[in-house]
Amino acid sequence: MKKIICLFFVFAALAFISVSAPVYAASPDNIPVENLDSSHSSSEAHPLPTPYMVIPFIVLLLMIASGPVLYHHFWDKFYPLISIVLGLITAAYYFIILHDPSAVLHSVVEYLSFIALLSSLFVASGGILIKVDKKATPLINVLFLLFGAVISNVIGTTGASMLLIRPFIKINKGRIKPYHIIFFIFVVSNTGGALTPIGDPPLFLGFLRGVPFFWVIQHVWYIWIPTILMILLIFYLIDSRNKSGETSSEEYSGRIEFRGIKNVIFLLIIVISVFIDPGVMSWVPSLHPFPLGIREIIMFSMVYIAYKFADQSILKSNEFDFGPIKEVAYLFVGIFLTMIPALQLIAYESKVLHDHLNATTFYWATGTLSSFLDNAPTYLNFLSAAMGKFGLDVNSMANVKEFVIHDEIYLQAISVAAVFFGACTYIGNGPNFMVKSISERSGIQMPSFFAYMYKYSLPVLIPVYFIIWLIFFNA
Amino acid sequence: MKTLDDVLKNKIHGIYYGKRILLPFAANFLKIVVEDDVISDFSDSTESGVIIEEKENFTNIYFLEYKKINEAVGKFKGIKILLAEKDKDIFDFANHRKLVLYLREEHVVEIEELDKEIIFID
Repeated sequence: MKKIICLFFVFAALAFISVSAPVYAASPDNIPVENLDSSHSSSEAHPLPTPYMVIPFIVLLLMIASGPVLYHHFWDKFYPLISIVLGLITAAYYFIILHDPSAVLHSVVEYLSFIALLSSLFVASGGILIKVDKKATPLINVLFLLFGAVISNVIGTTGASMLLIRPFIKINKGRIKPYHIIFFIFVVSNTGGALTPIGDPPLFLGFLRGVPFFWVIQHVWYIWIPTILMILLIFYLIDSRNKSGETSSEEYSGRIEFRGIKNVIFLLIIVISVFIDPGVMSWVPSLHPFPLGIREIIMFSMVYIAYKFADQSILKSNEFDFGPIKEVAYLFVGIFLTMIPALQLIAYESKVLHDHLNATTFYWATGTLSSFLDNAPTYLNFLSAAMGKFGLDVNSMANVKEFVIHDEIYLQAISVAAVFFGACTYIGNGPNFMVKSISERSGIQMPSFFAYMYKYSLPVLIPVYFIIWLIFFNA
Repeated sequence: MKTLDDVLKNKIHGIYYGKRILLPFAANFLKIVVEDDVISDFSDSTESGVIIEEKENFTNIYFLEYKKINEAVGKFKGIKILLAEKDKDIFDFANHRKLVLYLREEHVVEIEELDKEIIFID
């Protein structure tokens, strides 16, 4: 915990220095391009990074994929250091070579917002205990996952995952297999949260840019329903073949018990705080150049308060530990920093090729990148590229509103793909790793990074997403 | 050597120092879970990172991969163990016991039967 706090202060300081530092002119050796990254004003010129600077990002992704499998103990000990060092290499490149600290600043600010939301939801939901004394059947599991998908739109995919993963494992005691956890990741930790801006961070970023709150549910529900139903149908077919634990003589009362009402209130405060942003409510003061806003301060305060006042017996029953969020915090430091060059290059290429881009391109490109990169900045970059097709600026709320009204298929494709494809890998979305970690600590042997993809996401999700593309975006 | 029931009933503690945990009973260990490590290899090879030594009045467990075992587990999360008590039939699943070891301050190891609310897939 102390290390996390130190890390937080280091990044806050870095962000503060970045924002306070003068922005130097672009080096003549670099090609200045109009940056498509929504963090910057479109009129600002930013130097384009060399493609070689994608290497730290690729190295980090490869290590995240191979570390837990090939050199488990080394990775366990050194992943924080590896992630931070690779991130700092990228940061140093932007500071020293490109003289462009603003790109790093923006990533740091986004990282702090990301980790504030994730950590507060994680801690608040860790103090809630749901006891379900019921034996799981394939149908009960389907209903459970469906409930998780719906609730993830209210408390976020992170909150829903943390709240429901343990009861889900418990009701399946005696018959639990890795596929249970993986379908939980598919439905509750990812696809479920596609209906509201609270559901998943990319939609939240879109909301902050001017996409109306209810636009998402109005334009995505008819894509969400068949997607969820197809995934649940596949799950049902697989789960129906699982005969483990059927001979168990254990008796169940069928009772559902809910404890930790205090933490439900904390959870509500976190959800409400999502809206406390100068971009949403004009009366909310901006704390610029401080890298945190009022919203993030509330969220980080909730981390402390929710932990301090949680019922100790609930924390014990939930085996509450900062380990999973610590892992996410460290790994995403590296991911957020090292992906800056990758995102800028993608944005640049998108702008160059914008005449050739259509809903299909946006759907598959956003999806593929959201599987491996953080889906929030990926969403923003493709939104920026899509708007660029029509000469609109993502930094203008009026432009975003205009875009949303006239060209909804692009935003639909980007929104759906950013959320859905996050389920394709363990690193596609923050909660995926947490769910994996909690499951492993419960004694479940989870598949490796690659096995997750070739055994589950490629054969299950990609055909489903292909059908969705065929029906909705293949125009 | 104390029996496991004695230890649990009388709340007798174990102790830990560095990477070593000393438990006041003897048992045949089936599985140990520390963090993400699910360990079931207790052969003489040290590849699993755990060595178990039975002494006259206690059992030593060495966690070779950890410099300080107490730093690996959180306040609310212990080390989970699946075992069969010494002299009981290990092949009878009814004899398999699930324990959790909480590493407290001053080298104290609290030994508890695993709460049924805590998930431990055996």
